[in-house]
Amino acid sequence: MWSDHQVVEDAVAAYLLGAGEPGEADMVRAHLAGCASCRELAGRLSRAVGALPLAVEEVAPPGRLRERILAAAAAEPHSGARSSSAAPASRPPANAPIHLPKRRSFASGRRYERWLPAAAAAAALLVVGGAAGIGISRATAPGVAAAHYALSGSGSLRGASAAVVDFRGTGTTLVEFRGLPSVPAGKVYELWLIPSGGKPVAAGVFAPDGDGSKVLVVPRDLTGVAVMAVTVEQGPGGAAQPTQQPELSGSVT
Amino acid sequence: MAADQLIRRPSQYVQIRGMNARDLRDLSDGGLAAALGRGEVDALGELYDRYGSLAFAVALRVVGDAGRAEDVVQEAFLKVWRSVGTFDAQRGSLRGWLLACVRNRAIDSLRGRGAHEQAEVELQPEVEASGSGFDPWREVSRSLERAAIQEALASLPAEQRQAIELAYYGGYSYSEIAEMSRVPLSTVKGRARLALEKLHSYLAGRGLVTDVV
Repeated sequence: MWSDHQVVEDAVAAYLLGAGEPGEADMVRAHLAGCASCRELAGRLSRAVGALPLAVEEVAPPGRLRERILAAAAAEPHSGARSSSAAPASRPPANAPIHLPKRRSFASGRRYERWLPAAAAAAALLVVGGAAGIGISRATAPGVAAAHYALSGSGSLRGASAAVVDFRGTGTTLVEFRGLPSVPAGKVYELWLIPSGGKPVAAGVFAPDGDGSKVLVVPRDLTGVAVMAVTVEQGPGGAAQPTQQPELSGSVT
Repeated sequence: MAADQLIRRPSQYVQIRGMNARDLRDLSDGGLAAALGRGEVDALGELYDRYGSLAFAVALRVVGDAGRAEDVVQEAFLKVWRSVGTFDAQRGSLRGWLLACVRNRAIDSLRGRGAHEQAEVELQPEVEASGSGFDPWREVSRSLERAAIQEALASLPAEQRQAIELAYYGGYSYSEIAEMSRVPLSTVKGRARLALEKLHSYLAGRGLVTDVV
């Protein structure tokens, strides 16, 4: 409790500037709750503090920043959004630019049979609580406009994850990666959509940003897709079919 | 499938819900906050269009690096996006809240702190926002506002201005400022409070802030 009001007023100013000593903020808050004159002071000084950033000459940010922000916001459920109702599968990345993949074909290959069973098994692992480093979760109730899923990594991609948002009825799915290691020279990550009992469909190639994040926007919903998976393939165009076991995958049903 | 069919720009999918761009441009900041509260991503785009350059400038002023400033601005806009339900237009402006988020995250980025969250919610600076509603003179208005505040700051004694700028843009505590300035802590406290009082008086005299009723 302060007895000297001058000291209190100085502390209020420090509080508003975020320049007080550790623990002082709690004392200021407690004092303001019971002191009308200091609340009035705080009101005045907060207006002055609020003016400080308005003195700065505006600087145009890089054009990509707007897209990054909107993509990250769209990828995370909002408490007031009409089209989302589930908790986010993961927090949004600090850095999530949109990636434009190169053209690629969807011709079928011979190798997918080698890893499709493993991908399908990955979905089953959820049921048994996860095993072998592949953890998969589903975070959205059926019947909502946006469905949320999570991909998680194992092996060399242990620590990587992705949040998937299927904007049902709009033909758009967002995939937001985090914690991806950089790919070796000449290689790319390739995203696969695997229908139940069908062949993987390539959904784009990409390289993560320096912080391991990436946001992909896939122009289709996940109707009929059972598993989403990521492999490392030859760049720049990727492979027609997966050439290795996926180390980042998840159920999207 | 062509590459441009694989990946779309955000503007193509955020249109799935919410008002059109013209509607959003016509909204006051309070109306924009309401649209954000309804989860309309386009409203976040409009907020960015209004204040993105200012937010980036503030972040850049604090962290001094464009890449870090981008991250700071993104975090701040997402903070607003996630927490707009806690925003109370009666207590402050949307712009003030956003800029407080930018400044605090910039300081955290610069100095590795993380204790600003509560203050953001409790204290939303209330300088009259010139960005309320669609206004063809908005840029002119902002320019005049900026000039007035710069003038107000320039009118302060150098040591007072330095005290609040080191605290606000440098994230320094009064103790650190006292040590740097080689003056007693009580002197720094007095300088900063006086600076803020004078700044308020100057701006109130020009109608840029309103007094508490």
